[in-house]
Amino acid sequence: MRAVEALEQFARAQGVPEKIIFGLMLALEECGSNIVNHGLRRDALRKFQVTIELTHDTFVIELRDRGPAFDPTKAAEREQPKEEDAPGGWGIQLVRRNIDEMQYTRVDGENILRLAKRVGGPDHSPSVS
Amino acid sequence: MPLEIKIQKDADPKKSGVVTITLVGSLDTATAPELDRQMMECLAGRVSDLVFDLAGLKFVSSAGLRLFTLARKQMVARGGKASLINMQPQVEEAFAIIQSLPGFNLFRDLAALDRYLAERQGSHTQNS
Repeated sequence: MRAVEALEQFARAQGVPEKIIFGLMLALEECGSNIVNHGLRRDALRKFQVTIELTHDTFVIELRDRGPAFDPTKAAEREQPKEEDAPGGWGIQLVRRNIDEMQYTRVDGENILRLAKRVGGPDHSPSVS
Repeated sequence: MPLEIKIQKDADPKKSGVVTITLVGSLDTATAPELDRQMMECLAGRVSDLVFDLAGLKFVSSAGLRLFTLARKQMVARGGKASLINMQPQVEEAFAIIQSLPGFNLFRDLAALDRYLAERQGSHTQNS
């Protein structure tokens, strides 16, 4: 996914630790492919928008799409990882493990998903909390 | 990032049935279907141990994890094993979800895998 590569380059240029970069890439990949596969029904002509932003201590990924209303934060509460080979829910679980905050809103026919990850201040040292 | 896939059957007669799939790059939604195809082709043959060498795997998403569990299921069904070796610390977090599933072997490196395979082949010989 092009947006994932862009995120990787941006985060690396900003000196974000590699482990956190991996988690952010994973979160974007999972949420992005979920939008493509379900929200946009794999229609290559339909697009969704990704914004990435780094403030002094927080990395924010915002995904916007015009697919049917879908709140992944609710799905995350409902879906539990299965013992057997049923990967349903793994994607959202991976997002949860790597992101500190997930917020969903539906505004004017648009799904807006905001993922935030604390990266630990200007020097990006791991946060102690 | 693309994914390079290399599939190798072990030439060592002591390791017959051992197939190693080496993955370099990114295993994600875009690259998983090709690995799926090549893996299924490979599993159509005689394979007793399927080994994934992950030394060069830089990224893996749930689409990739699904394939590892699929391989595990197929191997368990035929009395074989699926093993993961040389996993890099960077991707460990993603694997944390499937590592605890039964039927997966995890080896730090090739030497550890070789010791295990030697034992397995030894027990096969004793049983036959």
